[in-house]
Amino acid sequence: MVHCSIMAASCAWLLVLSSVLLCNLLKILLPSFSSFISRLLQKDAEHESQMRAEIQNMKQELSAISMMDEFARYARLERKINKMTDKLKTNVKTRTAQLAKVKWVINIGFYILQAALMITLIWKYYLEPVTILPSKWITPLERLVAFPTGVTGGVGITCWLVVCNKVVSIMLVPLG
Amino acid sequence: MEQEDGGGLSASQRRAEARRRKLLLNSEQRMSQIMGFHSLGDADGGDRDGACLGSRGRDLCSWPRSPSHLDNESKIEPKVHHEQPKPDSLPVSSMSKRGANMSGDSATLTGVSEHRSNVLSEVKRSNLGEIMDSFSKTAEMANDNSSELRHRHRGDLPSETAERGPRHGLDQYLSRFDEALKLRNQMISEKPSPENGNSAEEFDSFRIFRLIGSALLAIGVRVFICKYLSIFAPFLTLQLAYMGLSKYFPKGDKKTKTTVLTAALLLSGIPAEVISRSMDTYSKMGDVFTDLCVYFFTFIFCHETLGFFGLAVP
Repeated sequence: MVHCSIMAASCAWLLVLSSVLLCNLLKILLPSFSSFISRLLQKDAEHESQMRAEIQNMKQELSAISMMDEFARYARLERKINKMTDKLKTNVKTRTAQLAKVKWVINIGFYILQAALMITLIWKYYLEPVTILPSKWITPLERLVAFPTGVTGGVGITCWLVVCNKVVSIMLVPLG
Repeated sequence: MEQEDGGGLSASQRRAEARRRKLLLNSEQRMSQIMGFHSLGDADGGDRDGACLGSRGRDLCSWPRSPSHLDNESKIEPKVHHEQPKPDSLPVSSMSKRGANMSGDSATLTGVSEHRSNVLSEVKRSNLGEIMDSFSKTAEMANDNSSELRHRHRGDLPSETAERGPRHGLDQYLSRFDEALKLRNQMISEKPSPENGNSAEEFDSFRIFRLIGSALLAIGVRVFICKYLSIFAPFLTLQLAYMGLSKYFPKGDKKTKTTVLTAALLLSGIPAEVISRSMDTYSKMGDVFTDLCVYFFTFIFCHETLGFFGLAVP
């Protein structure tokens, strides 16, 4: 039990690093994730493509009809095409609005989760350092590095979070 | 057969004239409503001159009124609100609008400057002078008709004093804007030419070199040196070495970013050279901080990994 707690304490730096890495990775993957979710939630796309195909067919049919000879049929078909086009436009508009809403909700949810995770980490390691070094190694900046723990030679959560964020963002530059 | 009156005009002509004038007046009111101005007439309870505007356009009483006109207004009051304004009214309303735009408040000044930024290359100071002249003319028109109203709204300040402040501010603002434009042109001219087009890539290579150097130094320090001294001493030495080595790398730092901060500083009157130097220093500090982060991270990572494999602290 004691061994486990020592292990957990010694892995605090790794825990913080993994959290930061995970958050940054998720941030990169967020647009594709929200697109995937919105595709799952919206099943009208198939219906829309069907409507588009129908409109295309009707337009072809309309081009085959002579307006002079069969005016009534021509007008009827044209009205039908207009009606379906309007319906399609309304559907697309609704779907786009819904998509934007889904993306917004996912983004907000992600940022809330990220903030909660960071606050939890800071709360947990507020008084204990994520790792401890011999104090002479970090001599001129030991207080700054140890903030807010105040432990001599310790590396505080704030400093470690900043360092991890910077390094992870550099590492993830190739991923965009 | 139309009946002639004493003034030489027929009744229908007189009515038409009155209607025309009322429509002109109505167009002013409509324009004021569109622009969001409050006519003073509402506050005074009788003077419905839409051109004598409220807080923004109080200098601009662009429609001279006569007693006969007022008489005619009272006769045709119920009808004219349902009629559309005639094209004749356009010059008057557009003039008053223009005058309102050139009035001295900050919102309209911003509008003018935005417009100026859109036509950066064409608009010169002479054009501005013309605009200012038209503003003065419009204001003079206002002086003829609405002196009482103006004094009521501006207190005892003479009109020239009130105009000079905004005009002086505008001049000052535009001189700074010209300076910003010069810097912009300078930065455009400093863009890398095709023969040294790889400078950005080479700058990136220097940056990668710095990062890798920092990481390697951290490993070296952890393994060999740190038992003797602080880990930041070798890092500072490395930074000094980078300063010396930067001469041998192609200069990539000409890639000055035009940020909002730069623009804001320029418009606050800080010289372009000072801003450029500050931004250079700022970017160098950023580079050093990045190196420090990489160095410290690698050091901790190395230290923990060595600790995990049971290697004791030296």
